[in-house]
Amino acid sequence: MITTGSKYFYGVTVLATIAMVLYMLFVNPNDIGAVALGSLASAAALLGGLTSFTRDSTAHSVKEASAAATQPAPAAVWPLIVAVGIVMLVFGLATNPIVFVLGIVALVAGAVEWLVQDYASRASADSEFNSQLRGRLLHPLEFPVGAAVVVGIIAISFSRIMLNISKSAGAVVFIVVSSLVLVLGFLVALKPSMRGRAIGTLCSVGFVALVGAGIVTGISGERAELVEAAEEDHYSHMECGAEADKYFDKHPNNAVSLKSATLATITVRDGKMIATLSGLDAPVEKVTIPASSPVQVLFHNLDSEEHRLVAELGEKKVADTGVKEKSEQCTQLTGEDQVNVLTLNIRKPSIAAGPYKLTVPGLEGQEIEVYVP
Amino acid sequence: MSRHALSARTARRARALAITTMVGASMFLAGCAKDAPQDVFQPKGENAAEINDLQYMVFGIAGVVGVIMTVLFVVTMTKFRDKGQPIPEQSHGKPALEITLTIIPALILSVVGVFTTRTIFNLAETKDTELVINVTGQQWWWEYDYPAQEDWGIDQPIITSGQLVMPADTKVLIRETSRDVIHSYWIPALNGKRDAVPGRIHTLRLQADNPGIYAGQCTEFCGLSHANMRMEAVALSKDDFATWVKNQQAAYKAPAENTLAKEGEAVFLNQCVRCHQVNGLKKADGTAAIAAPDENVYAGAAPNLSKLMSRNTFAGATWDLLKKECRGGVWDAKSEEFGAKYLEGVSADCLNEVDLRRWLRNAPAMKPMYADPTKLEPTDGKYRGMPYLALSEGDIDKLVAYLLTLK
Ligand code: HEC
Ligand SMILES: [Cu+2]
Repeated sequence: MITTGSKYFYGVTVLATIAMVLYMLFVNPNDIGAVALGSLASAAALLGGLTSFTRDSTAHSVKEASAAATQPAPAAVWPLIVAVGIVMLVFGLATNPIVFVLGIVALVAGAVEWLVQDYASRASADSEFNSQLRGRLLHPLEFPVGAAVVVGIIAISFSRIMLNISKSAGAVVFIVVSSLVLVLGFLVALKPSMRGRAIGTLCSVGFVALVGAGIVTGISGERAELVEAAEEDHYSHMECGAEADKYFDKHPNNAVSLKSATLATITVRDGKMIATLSGLDAPVEKVTIPASSPVQVLFHNLDSEEHRLVAELGEKKVADTGVKEKSEQCTQLTGEDQVNVLTLNIRKPSIAAGPYKLTVPGLEGQEIEVYVP
Repeated sequence: MSRHALSARTARRARALAITTMVGASMFLAGCAKDAPQDVFQPKGENAAEINDLQYMVFGIAGVVGVIMTVLFVVTMTKFRDKGQPIPEQSHGKPALEITLTIIPALILSVVGVFTTRTIFNLAETKDTELVINVTGQQWWWEYDYPAQEDWGIDQPIITSGQLVMPADTKVLIRETSRDVIHSYWIPALNGKRDAVPGRIHTLRLQADNPGIYAGQCTEFCGLSHANMRMEAVALSKDDFATWVKNQQAAYKAPAENTLAKEGEAVFLNQCVRCHQVNGLKKADGTAAIAAPDENVYAGAAPNLSKLMSRNTFAGATWDLLKKECRGGVWDAKSEEFGAKYLEGVSADCLNEVDLRRWLRNAPAMKPMYADPTKLEPTDGKYRGMPYLALSEGDIDKLVAYLLTLK
């Protein structure tokens, strides 16, 4: 028997089967597309079968089911949102891809909300139950998405503020704000009477203030030091000698992800360079690095003097003049018991110009040979 | 109920039962395949054995739970389905039952969890490594290079592809990375799988109890020829491994003057050396021929062919360099004889010329590789794989003769 609930699934089954046949006839008979449509058809058939078998499990009589249909539909903004989405979609095609994407988001969100609301409003004759049903279906989507949006706005606003104010002020702000949040949390937990209106108002005010400050600082831009560094390319600029650079050079690269996937480690201890391969504890004299593959070499300085690791990679031609100059790469200066990562991507095998070398300026006469097979 | 209706119903039931049995039986029997070199239930080394022990335990527990749940599900569905009976009394919440039903799975999961965690930690151990090998994946083949390790007689790094040669009964640690997209290295008989991710080094323990060949294939979808990206681990006794190492480091032997192979060397210098390195090969002017795969191939590498004929397979271990008869001799050899057989490499009599010629004639026709020169815009004109080179049959004869000398 085809019950009310199973109609939908049988419909999908039929449509997917027809689509699959057409696809196989006109597009490609042995393609993933046909497999996908076939899977959809069989999945829908299974669900339809289950729904029929259990006789929809809810509606007990035709009378009960049709009573629901007499409910007047509640007011909804979703048709409007869908319309706005379509306009943005078209507009975005002509102007900006971001508008296009936002249009798709509005369209999909509006369509889903509209569909579920409409379905729920006809589920039974009881409008209270219907609105509960709508919530049960949509809240698991609405709450996480809403929360993610709010958290995103908070994070962006906060980061704009932190990039604008000075470093030390940033630290103070961070401490004050996080302490406030903590204290507030404690108060609310201890004094239930504080819950409700008051706390809602407080949070809203805080949120608005944060977003406001975020917009203001976002417009006024990052602090001068950061702007200058970006303009002068301090982030990537490194001298391989003994001198220190102005802003960032002294700070070790602390990217955890790089350090967790190294090919070899070079340690300086008591003025000696020691190389080890990850996974093999005994020190080695030669390090082998696969060609054309970015790999990390970890530099660990145990001495009190600052050092940096330098990779001497043969020579390279300077593009305009054709003059050959040394091809070098190095870590930033690394203090006592600090680590730094050197990312190497060597394109030419070492038989061409090598073996290449790893050295530490200041520790003369020591080197680790680098082979690139 | 009439007799007629009754027999129709019996017939329907019988049919349903027959179909269920057939589907079930064919699925069950598929598990009994004889020639299944990638069977996860047949460990050939301690790491895989540890996984196997764990999976037997987990499958056992899951099987029992699965059967109980299925039975309950079917009984509920048939017994309580709507036959027009009045709705039973509705109640909400039975704390005792709910707590029991939470505690039982929690207990089962913690038992499984303890054993799983222990296995994970054991398999992540690197302290006891005896030999490290770098494994680099790219579309659609694996490169192996052996860092210099004096203990094993490797004083210059060794580089090869397709077949990972390793000493048996040794704790080998492979260090995986990738030059383009994510791949995954899996030799089911030796250990679980581990992804090879660009920019990262992931380690994987491998250990084979006995000499032999252990098959595997890339298990992370990596593009057009993912299915043709295979690999084999070849375990040799320690002595045989030392012989292999020595041969891999042996100097280049140029073919004798006035032979077909010598002419092949010239063709190779013209056509192939821009991608393929042959260590020790010299250009006509006497300088070393250095390949530049970084300028021609998207991944930045092409297989090093210095010792091509010391391996048994080519192009992602997907085609054999050995003829069928000779291949069987190696694969089916007894453990003690295997090493000697493998070290023979490929002789002129055993060479699978048909497939090698097909490869040289038109590689992308054999293995799909986005090698259409008109469609290379997304990769800056670089190939993914080996392109069609429009070689003449005469050149192919010469090349085959030359490649046979690379041993
Ligand atoms: C544009 C670069 C390029 C050129 C030129 C080229 N190849 Fe290749 N070749 C490759 C790549 C890449 C592979 C790996 C393909 C794979 O396995 O998916 C390969 C694979 C091979 C293999 C299999 C090796 C193995 O260990 O699996 C052989 C043999 C081979 N090439 C021979 C030749 C010969 C002979 C020539 C010259 C006529 C040649 N190639 C020219 C890029 C090139
Ligand atoms: Cu792959």
